[in-house]
Amino acid sequence: MIQVNQLRKSFGSHVVLQDINMHVRRGEIFGIVGHSGAGKSTLLRCLNGLEPYDEGNVRVMDVEVASLDPHHLRQLQSKMGMIFQNFNLMARKNVFDNVAFPLQLWHRPEREKRVMELLELVGLTDKARQRVQSLSGGQKQRVGIARALALNPSILLCDEATSALDPKTTSSILDLLEDINKRLNLTIIMVTHQMEVVKRLCHSLLLLDGGKTVALGKTEDLFLAPTKDMQAIVENEFTLIPGGTNIRLMFPREISQQSVITQMARALGIDFSIVGGKLERYLDDVFGFLIINVQDQNIDAVLRYLKEQRLFWEILEYPSQQATDADHE
Amino acid sequence: MSDQLSTLAQLAQDMRPLWERLQDKMPEILMATWETVQMVLISTFFSLVIGFMLAILMIVTNPIGLSPCRPVYRVVDFVVNLLRSFPFIILLIAIIPFTRMVVGTSIGSAAAIVPLTIAAAPFVARLIETCFLEVDRGVIEAARSFGASNAQIIFRVLFPEALPSIVLNIAVIAITLLGYSAMAGTVGGGGLGDLAVKYGYNRFQVDIMVYSVIILCVLVLLIQGICNFLYKILR
Repeated sequence: MIQVNQLRKSFGSHVVLQDINMHVRRGEIFGIVGHSGAGKSTLLRCLNGLEPYDEGNVRVMDVEVASLDPHHLRQLQSKMGMIFQNFNLMARKNVFDNVAFPLQLWHRPEREKRVMELLELVGLTDKARQRVQSLSGGQKQRVGIARALALNPSILLCDEATSALDPKTTSSILDLLEDINKRLNLTIIMVTHQMEVVKRLCHSLLLLDGGKTVALGKTEDLFLAPTKDMQAIVENEFTLIPGGTNIRLMFPREISQQSVITQMARALGIDFSIVGGKLERYLDDVFGFLIINVQDQNIDAVLRYLKEQRLFWEILEYPSQQATDADHE
Repeated sequence: MSDQLSTLAQLAQDMRPLWERLQDKMPEILMATWETVQMVLISTFFSLVIGFMLAILMIVTNPIGLSPCRPVYRVVDFVVNLLRSFPFIILLIAIIPFTRMVVGTSIGSAAAIVPLTIAAAPFVARLIETCFLEVDRGVIEAARSFGASNAQIIFRVLFPEALPSIVLNIAVIAITLLGYSAMAGTVGGGGLGDLAVKYGYNRFQVDIMVYSVIILCVLVLLIQGICNFLYKILR
């Protein structure tokens, strides 16, 4: 559906994107993640031609975006809906007119019927004649979604769509996006800095930092076995226990329901401390990790056991700064 | 008591000639008012038409505009600044040949409309450009994102979204033109300014000047009131 190769873009002498490669399949929810200023929004705008790019290829639905003349670019844009962090609705118009706006621009027939369909889809039928100023943030984003879907696009681009919303509203907007993804087989590209959003919704993701790719792949793989760079960006820091060896155990979907840890303690007859851990819902599955601290004399036995059980694990290096602090105490 | 009565009697005596003078000059005052209203309305209209076109040209070619074109923007920007820096009274005289060419004469209200329009158009262009620039850039981007053309963005996004502030700025323009029209009056343009100078300054008939000023004040309040009302409805 979308294929990006070796994309490079700069504003003046400042390079904002370089060596970006990504592939998005039809019906996929794809996350573009990173801190603010990482180039995510710029990348998103390269996809629908709002921003030109310097080098590389961006192919959307088998056409090279940069090769299009203005007329054909507009036609491509009409097949790609977009929603925004600040909703970007027309303040002086009511809900109905905002949703009808793209239909007007493209002279689509049966406007009335289509708008009411869309408002029903996003659950705002009763608000059709209200001014958008009187709506809450979540409702405004629903209007934004309805407007973005008006022209029956194949792709929906979301630019920090939930960043201005509270957690509960975010959750309901994500439910709505998930629902339309399944119902309309809509390809969704989500730009966000919220990890919860990615874990909850995205099948694949691209992690950007300073305009470069840090990680690219399936969401569950990347969160189960994050690379060093990715950890630095993604993970909450746990305070590790000085002394002994800290091991991170990863639980893929089959194992997360079993009581691995207590079984290990019983089987080996040893004790260890639990440093921290987390179980999370990624898409429809539960994944997680647990960090344990093992005494040095038991480490070989534990590692052997983990290997036998085919668990994913890694030994965490103790941060040197923390180590010296501990030595002084 | 008797002192106060005599003062009142004196006042009454002074009032009579004043009142008579007003009655005497009434047709002339009404005529001048009508001329002023005409000059302001027509020149506001023409300066809006010209200014609006210039504003569109500027918002399109502006470096942060719809399709930036720096050379064009520079030229328009320079012309607008140049015309705005002319003191009106100088412009009025400087373009007399042009005025003659357009209306055939350089005297009277019709002739005053030409310099009034030329003075106000760049002012209008600047004000409307500012109104356009104030439209949320996100809304423009959203329109872009579903494939709106530049023309559609101007007429279906920028213009409707900026309309309330444009209306408020029309009040500013019309009131400025009211002031300018008084200046135009002094060099043969007619209207209330002419009246005030002719009687108030040249013939020391302060009362006629006071009437002109009062009418001008009422006109200002009226223009501002109407525009404020429209703004409230449109917002």
